[in-house]
Amino acid sequence: MDVLGSFQHLLTGFGVATTLENLSYCLIGAIVGTLVGVLPGLGPIAGIALLIPATFGLNATSAIIMLAGIYYGAMYGGSTTSILINVPGETASVMTCIDGYQMAKQGRAGPALAICAIGSFVAGSLAILGLAFLAPPLAEAALAFGPPEFFALMVFGFVVLSNVTGGSLLKALMMAVVGLIIGTIGMDPVTGNPRFTFGTVSLLGGIEFVAVAIGLFGIGEVLVNVEQSAEVMEQRVLVPRFRDLYPTLQDLKQSLGAILRGTGIGFGVGLVPGPAPVIATYASYMVEKRISKHPERFGHGAIEGVAGPESANNSACQAAFIPLFVLGIPFAPPTAILLGALLIHGINPGPTMISEHPDLFWGVVASMYIGNFVLLLLNLPFVPLFANILRIPKKVLLPLVMLFCFTGMYSVNNFIVDLWVMLGCGALGYLMRKWAYEGAPLLLALILGPKMEVAFRQSLMISHGGFAIFLARPVSLVFLLGTLMFLLMPLIKGALRSFSRRATAKA
Amino acid sequence: MVASILVFLFGGITMLLSLQLPLGTLRMPGSGLFPLGLGLILMGLAACQILQPRLRAAASAKSGGGGGTADGSAHRVLVFLGIMALATALLDLLGFPLVAFLLMLALLQLLGARRWRDSALIALLTAGASYILFVRWLQIPLPKGWIGL
Repeated sequence: MDVLGSFQHLLTGFGVATTLENLSYCLIGAIVGTLVGVLPGLGPIAGIALLIPATFGLNATSAIIMLAGIYYGAMYGGSTTSILINVPGETASVMTCIDGYQMAKQGRAGPALAICAIGSFVAGSLAILGLAFLAPPLAEAALAFGPPEFFALMVFGFVVLSNVTGGSLLKALMMAVVGLIIGTIGMDPVTGNPRFTFGTVSLLGGIEFVAVAIGLFGIGEVLVNVEQSAEVMEQRVLVPRFRDLYPTLQDLKQSLGAILRGTGIGFGVGLVPGPAPVIATYASYMVEKRISKHPERFGHGAIEGVAGPESANNSACQAAFIPLFVLGIPFAPPTAILLGALLIHGINPGPTMISEHPDLFWGVVASMYIGNFVLLLLNLPFVPLFANILRIPKKVLLPLVMLFCFTGMYSVNNFIVDLWVMLGCGALGYLMRKWAYEGAPLLLALILGPKMEVAFRQSLMISHGGFAIFLARPVSLVFLLGTLMFLLMPLIKGALRSFSRRATAKA
Repeated sequence: MVASILVFLFGGITMLLSLQLPLGTLRMPGSGLFPLGLGLILMGLAACQILQPRLRAAASAKSGGGGGTADGSAHRVLVFLGIMALATALLDLLGFPLVAFLLMLALLQLLGARRWRDSALIALLTAGASYILFVRWLQIPLPKGWIGL
């Protein structure tokens, strides 16, 4: 598909996205996403999972427009708490705290929030153009992928994700395998035989991923908060007053380069497996600090330290849609939840999705553009309003989140058993936090598990039982070599560190 | 350490259960082959985690005391989960509106709401709002229970 073709399709997408129905869902998604981002403890993963039942009555395009709105809306909302109270609403906003909160302390919360919104809008818009023009040719290239390539790509994805989650690689890999095992519960995807169902009909469809997502990421977080003392529960957040809301011309000049660099970094990082927005914000902050003529300003309210990371996280978030739409393989938990939602709505994303469901793909792409514009309008004047939510004490907020999880979960299938799974996963999520185990690899593996098993078994059938097929295909070989590299990286790093320590000791 | 042992056992149980399923051959893999391999890999990873002395030390430092219970209130977490479990068990019998009200009331009290009257008011408002949102607006068939709403 050429550039002109993509442009024409994008225009058609705008036709789909600007119907009154889809505009409303885009707006709802953006607002709910901002709220989810603002509320500490309820991140985009639990937010999207909770809203899936609300999309059952909608067509697939409207449903994904709304759920995608929650994802990028949460990225906008997350910055609000980072700047105002030094608490990141979600993990991608951690870097924003450093200079954003300092700006707020200097009475410049307004310009910091405004530059977040402007940077996010510019980055989101540019990244969407990248998505629109890169996805179709990549999808055509991905048509050459067979089961061995998909299997190797998924293995690569899990190992990279496990490597970059920040904790122990071994623990993250263990969680990915636990997720794959949980994913085998239910009907065998190849033969249809029941597996690990213990004669229960409700387990035939497998473990509900929404229950696992809400449990691990929603209830697990609430339980960690429940441990806090009564004084913390009682505390009301003091939101600083806004002296002025809009940035000066000097602020804009200082931020422009950071926004563009952040967009580029975010887009590149978003295409590879891992918690892209988190890595992108860190990389962007480090780049801005390194190239700045006055690096000493960083950490004391440098506006570039807010503009760069915020642009990077939105750009990464949009770029993460490319592997989801083009390969049908999400590289991060929020897009994995979106994959689950697409499957519920009967859409199987992959290389043929753009040609089979052009309305959905181009409609969603165009809606993201509109969503970014809506968020810009929403975030600038209404920031003080959203900030007021933070004044609700935790002792009221936490039960509210629980009630919403409880009701939202039951609404998915109307099965009590899903509530038990959610509670079990909540307890598991709490213990995993205590024992420093990552939830993201488990969730991603649970959703991708059946696809991975099918690809593995089909590969063996094609090769008449030979494992060499994974090494004989060039693309598959490259992914497996990459996997090996990431597996060995901690060992190599450790060896280098001990070597340099010994060298220093000798010197 | 405890977590790694639990994961090791989970891998072992997966392997045992997989062996009861048709394994097939490598040419035509059966239902049990993939989970059997996963169980084996999981046991191997967990064994590495258990045997690595440095990691073991770090893990025990993290799980013992370092978990950070703010005021020794891990029991509050258990009570919180217990209330949620009770609400789940009673959902079909009592119905959604009543369970939502009782759940909110109990959780608010547990987390330190000062007066019962305030908690009851918040619980009533939130249960009512969620009933209107989910049952009336989104038309989700939540259990009616004996109050029939």
